[in-house]
Amino acid sequence: MKKGILYLNQFFGQIGGEDKADYAPTIQEGQVGAGMLLSNLLEDAEITHTLICGDNFMGSNEEEAVEKLLGFLEDKEFDIFFAGPAFQAGRYGNACGVICKAVKEKFDVPVISSMHKENPGVDMFKKDVFIFKGGDSAAKMKDDMTKMAEFGNKLLKGEKSEGAEAEGYYHRGIRHQVWLEDETPAVVRAIDMLLKKINDEPFTSELPIPELETVPVAPAIALENAKIALVTSGGIVPVDNPDHIQSASATRWGRYSIADMDKLDNRANGAFKTIHAGYDPAAADADPNVCVPLDALRAYEKEGKIGSIHEYFYTTVGTGTTEAEAARMAQEMIEHLKADEVDAVILTST
Amino acid sequence: MKLEIGNFQVQKVEFGKTSSYKDGTLTINKEEALAVVFEDEHITDADLVLTKPGDDVRIVPVKEAIEPRFRLNGGPAFPGVTGKIERVGEGKAVALKNCSVLAVGKHWGSFGDGLIDMSGEGAKYTIFSKLINICLVADTDEEFERREQQKKNHAIRWAAHRLAEYLGSIVKDMTPESTETFELGPITKRDEKVKSLPSVVYVMQPQSQMEELGYNDLVYGWDTNRMLPTFMHPNEILDGAIISGSFMPCSSKWSTYDFQNCPTIKGLYNEHGKTINFLGVIMSNLNVALEQKERAGMFVQQIASSLGADAAILAEEGYGNPDADFIECFRVLEEAGIKTVGMTNECTGRDGQSQPLVTLDESADAIVSCGNVSALIELPPMGTVIGELDALKRDGLSGGWEDDEKLGPSVKEDGSIIMENNSMFCGDSVLGQSVKTMREF
Repeated sequence: MKKGILYLNQFFGQIGGEDKADYAPTIQEGQVGAGMLLSNLLEDAEITHTLICGDNFMGSNEEEAVEKLLGFLEDKEFDIFFAGPAFQAGRYGNACGVICKAVKEKFDVPVISSMHKENPGVDMFKKDVFIFKGGDSAAKMKDDMTKMAEFGNKLLKGEKSEGAEAEGYYHRGIRHQVWLEDETPAVVRAIDMLLKKINDEPFTSELPIPELETVPVAPAIALENAKIALVTSGGIVPVDNPDHIQSASATRWGRYSIADMDKLDNRANGAFKTIHAGYDPAAADADPNVCVPLDALRAYEKEGKIGSIHEYFYTTVGTGTTEAEAARMAQEMIEHLKADEVDAVILTST
Repeated sequence: MKLEIGNFQVQKVEFGKTSSYKDGTLTINKEEALAVVFEDEHITDADLVLTKPGDDVRIVPVKEAIEPRFRLNGGPAFPGVTGKIERVGEGKAVALKNCSVLAVGKHWGSFGDGLIDMSGEGAKYTIFSKLINICLVADTDEEFERREQQKKNHAIRWAAHRLAEYLGSIVKDMTPESTETFELGPITKRDEKVKSLPSVVYVMQPQSQMEELGYNDLVYGWDTNRMLPTFMHPNEILDGAIISGSFMPCSSKWSTYDFQNCPTIKGLYNEHGKTINFLGVIMSNLNVALEQKERAGMFVQQIASSLGADAAILAEEGYGNPDADFIECFRVLEEAGIKTVGMTNECTGRDGQSQPLVTLDESADAIVSCGNVSALIELPPMGTVIGELDALKRDGLSGGWEDDEKLGPSVKEDGSIIMENNSMFCGDSVLGQSVKTMREF
């Protein structure tokens, strides 16, 4: 029989109400309160332990609470982790999200929770946790717990999710291709959608436009003394591509010295070329400075418009490269850039 | 304009003494067919290999697919490619259905080439697994691009077009088993009932990203990079006016076969006079510079508005940079009050977590999505390989790789493969065949 662990707050953990919201984390053997319901709903698993923590304690001492709770779990064997349901309780939703995320990162087991759509924990943690669409109050305890348990049973059996809509959890921003069971071709779906749109009838887009995450423009800096670095996703590399950066869907990056160079020499002269497969390489191969504008920046340096140019340029390939990989590579580059006290970066694409 | 395509349902293809067609069996005189291939002296080596659905066969690197066709009024099947410029879309043509001519590299692959499995798990990834494939496996003397990741593949692609026309000619004097008729009259001369229906244009964005000539889709032999959006009759597209290029990651590619059979055009024809008034096709493109994108969007908006379009279906051949054209065009059509549905694929990454298109806009509220270019696919070895399997890892195919820290090379010693959907031959079928969609997990 497989083992699960459930997280509850002080109220559902039967410690007390708002006056016990500062309750420090504890672990109890077996099931507490609705944990019994969950355990019964699990087919080939049981809830072996219950973690309990006051909502205020988690809210005010998150680091300490998580450390203690994870500490309780270190010597426990478990296959799945549940938290809540948290209904519309904001602090409880936050606590469920925090602990689920931490447990997933440390123990790599599935983590499942449930919250009402108005619970702020949904937006904060839906990317990290399977959060089921729950009711707004404890009157929905049985319904919500049943959804969590049914999905848990599925995962424990090694079955795969049929998708957020079919299962009933909030979108996590994870999109994969699937084959439609009824094999309706795209043209039929498109014309159907078009006719509905023409007739002002409701339709469902297959690609809902997500909320866009934007990066605010950084405050201006004084250029005269600034050390500027060149970073590109345009795939400019030494002709032998020493770091084997991929031409598409890149996971690798490189940095190459440009100290003492007035400009980047070209492919024909055995210096630099582009390996980027997403654009016509002819112009960048003939003159790599069109992608990494070292020549122009050196002119600024001579004019005193900028302080200096960082001795390396950083490079990878942007085509087909996922956001996650791009963000990771950027973080790795930033460590070097900071260590070398670079003040600003000119980021060029293609 | 009225086009009649006489169809012959090919059930079986074999080699024989005389090229002929009888009762569903296409017999090819290989020597005669190869003579057509070798008309270009740049073809140094060529063979024809036959394969059908269910065969234990993997084909790679596949550069192009074409439906065998022959035009009965004497003009070339692919004007500007296999013959002089002559308007198509009117008159009669014959087609060998249920089969395609594939242009396959004997050794060398390139970025935009793809892979087809004729059976097993891999067969679900492309419609070309369901066709009888007449594979032209060839090599050329195009030394200038031998080691280049981007190849024009001119000799082998043109040879495949000539071969498709030669095969089509086999049935030119025979009575078709069935006939499809595509007739769409001048917009201002349609009857009142049709004119009272919502007017719909189909906006196509074929691949045109390469500045250098020779890689992009061609319209009547003209590079789509060098054109501004223009209005076309849908019959022209069904009748060989446009051929596929040699650039885009393959799952996003529209092969010539796909253009010849464009399901969205056929779907809009089916609705014409019933639920919509199908105005025709606005042929746009996907050039890389922002100004070019804005200019193209402006032209599309103007043509659609001038035609009086109420609604549009918009489709892009590609992802990444072309997403900007797709979204811009979507935005300006909606801005002009033209209700638009977009058709595309997505690039959400192997983990599914990346932004689906590189740019998005709230106006793009109706999209049909046909797949994830970056989905990771593992497939077992196949008994026979047509072409050269190592091309997948060696030659920079968009969905293959030489080596990877975690995944190893794309091609394993036992012939099994791991690749991205990017290199599944025309796998995402954005022209309308795709039975895939994208789902939140």
